[in-house]
Amino acid sequence: MFEQAITAMASVMVDPHLLGLIFVTTILGVIIGVLPGLGATTGAALLLPFTLTMDPVHAIAVLATIYVSATFAGSITAILINAPGTSAAAATTFDGYPLAQKGEAGRALGVAVVASTVGGIFSVLILCFAAPMLARVAYEFRSPEYFALTVFGLSMLASISAGGAVKNLMGGIFGVWLSTIGAERVTGIERFMFGNYELYEGLHFVPIFIGLFAISELLVQSKTVDKIIKTVAMKAVKLPTKEDYKKIWKTILRSCGIGTFIGVLPAEGATVASMIGYSEARRWSKNKEEFGKGSIEGIAGAEAANNAATGGAMVPTMVLGIPGSGTTAIILVGLMVHGLRPGVYLFTEQVEKVYQIFGSMFVANVMFMLMGLYAAKLFARVSLVPTAILWPIVFALSVIGAYAFQGQLLDVWLALIFGVIGFFARRHGFSVAPIAVGLILGEMVETNLQHSLKMFDGAWWMILTQPLALMFLVFAFLGLCGPAIYSWITKQKN
Amino acid sequence: MITKNIYIVPLFLAVFSVIVIAVALQLDTSPEMIVGDSMQARSFPIFLMVLNLILIVVLTFQLSKSNPKSTPLEKFPTWGSILLFLLFYLLTVYTDMFIGIFLVMFLLCRLWGEKRVWVSLLTASITPGLIFLLFDFVLKIRFPRGLLMNIYYG
Repeated sequence: MFEQAITAMASVMVDPHLLGLIFVTTILGVIIGVLPGLGATTGAALLLPFTLTMDPVHAIAVLATIYVSATFAGSITAILINAPGTSAAAATTFDGYPLAQKGEAGRALGVAVVASTVGGIFSVLILCFAAPMLARVAYEFRSPEYFALTVFGLSMLASISAGGAVKNLMGGIFGVWLSTIGAERVTGIERFMFGNYELYEGLHFVPIFIGLFAISELLVQSKTVDKIIKTVAMKAVKLPTKEDYKKIWKTILRSCGIGTFIGVLPAEGATVASMIGYSEARRWSKNKEEFGKGSIEGIAGAEAANNAATGGAMVPTMVLGIPGSGTTAIILVGLMVHGLRPGVYLFTEQVEKVYQIFGSMFVANVMFMLMGLYAAKLFARVSLVPTAILWPIVFALSVIGAYAFQGQLLDVWLALIFGVIGFFARRHGFSVAPIAVGLILGEMVETNLQHSLKMFDGAWWMILTQPLALMFLVFAFLGLCGPAIYSWITKQKN
Repeated sequence: MITKNIYIVPLFLAVFSVIVIAVALQLDTSPEMIVGDSMQARSFPIFLMVLNLILIVVLTFQLSKSNPKSTPLEKFPTWGSILLFLLFYLLTVYTDMFIGIFLVMFLLCRLWGEKRVWVSLLTASITPGLIFLLFDFVLKIRFPRGLLMNIYYG
């Protein structure tokens, strides 16, 4: 297995086509991450249709590269203009921008680049070891376990980055309901199609995701047309000094662990990881008073954690088919579209492709480090592209991308409709990521529940007699009710 | 009596859930020999919407406690952009998808504050042109027929 992994990962280094693709995609990912409003999720949604005709490994490598490079690039604008390019870089603004205002923008970016690279590479290494082990555990899973696991995944939506727990759960339920549109798998009964036979196979993820992530973002950005962006002057990106490294290495390592762990949890992502990474950096720091005023530990803590979460989030995505974030939901769709069935099968029958994808992520981390060090100043200028030009281009990419998926105009209308739905949802404080995750997990939940009921002759409570299934359901219960129970107990004590 | 518009969202979602339940109840049922001990096709969506209704009650309770400010109405660029989507639909159906993209992109540029007409025109013509070339020549995807595509495909 180990030899196979090394060979597959090394094959990435000698594939000039793939290396070229990763190079170009890293540039694109950094640009996407730098542009205000366009994050890794929107970028991946827009690029997904372009990958349809690619080789599966190349296609997933493109999406994974966008994921890691855009997640890093969000820090460039967070430091230089106090506007995080992605939500995952929000914690970087706390200390990145104050440090830049002190005239040390280059140092702030240098720390961010190093911390992000270490975080990204660390999580890829963990991914290489943890994913096959988890796949071996998942080999024992049957329908009750998968049902309980997806319920656990859905329950974790309660704590997904934006929106309140109740709103996120409602978004997840709406997504699961969307997955019921079309012919029911067992009986073939048509549900919520209203005579539209193009929906017989159900709603396809690609146009819905383009709508939810790209078009809804376009409408959200339309509210900021008057915003004026000011950049902080920067001479060059500096690598951290020896003293800096002494100060931040423990923080980086801690955040690597935190980020990878948070990323592995279903439905948790880079944003949560960076916030926890930042607050832990502050908690353990000897210079707490520097936080919020330009602490390099703060930048390192947030950046190492958010990039470590990218590799971590790929673990449940590839092993269990449960996405860890909006972007991994799109990567999961990419896997499905290209016939790579996530789960045990992927790690037994197509293990070479899996390691090639991991290898691509490794290369992408190294490439964005080089770009961050040598071209951050240039990329920062991209953020000054007028929104009046940028977003009409996103519109064109969205509609053509939605059409290209199946060559159906219905997909274009669906993308636009879901763009408007996503906009109104966000307007009222609902996040769109739970809808996307719910849509993906919906079929899994229903099918595994049906199979479990058949297995136990309709006795649903028998699911609770399966130890692993019970464990996941207890986790789900704790995830949903734990905070409320904890606050009730604290209240009683007081 | 509901006096605050913050309750419009839960109300809308409740109406939506009830409609889904009503539609689900109209769905066909399968014979026992096919379904066996499992669920009917209608059961799962109904279960979801009942869960949703419970969450709507919780949300309404939360809103009544926190008393949030109602969201102000968006400015013209937002509503204008949504209207342009409608225009895109009409243009695509009755003329050609690329005419729709060109016009909507041009109008979006203007709506979002681009004052230079030539920049808007250039953006609206170059972008779809490049995307068309990429999809047609590289990805080999055929676009829907319309005024322009009929000329191109013959």
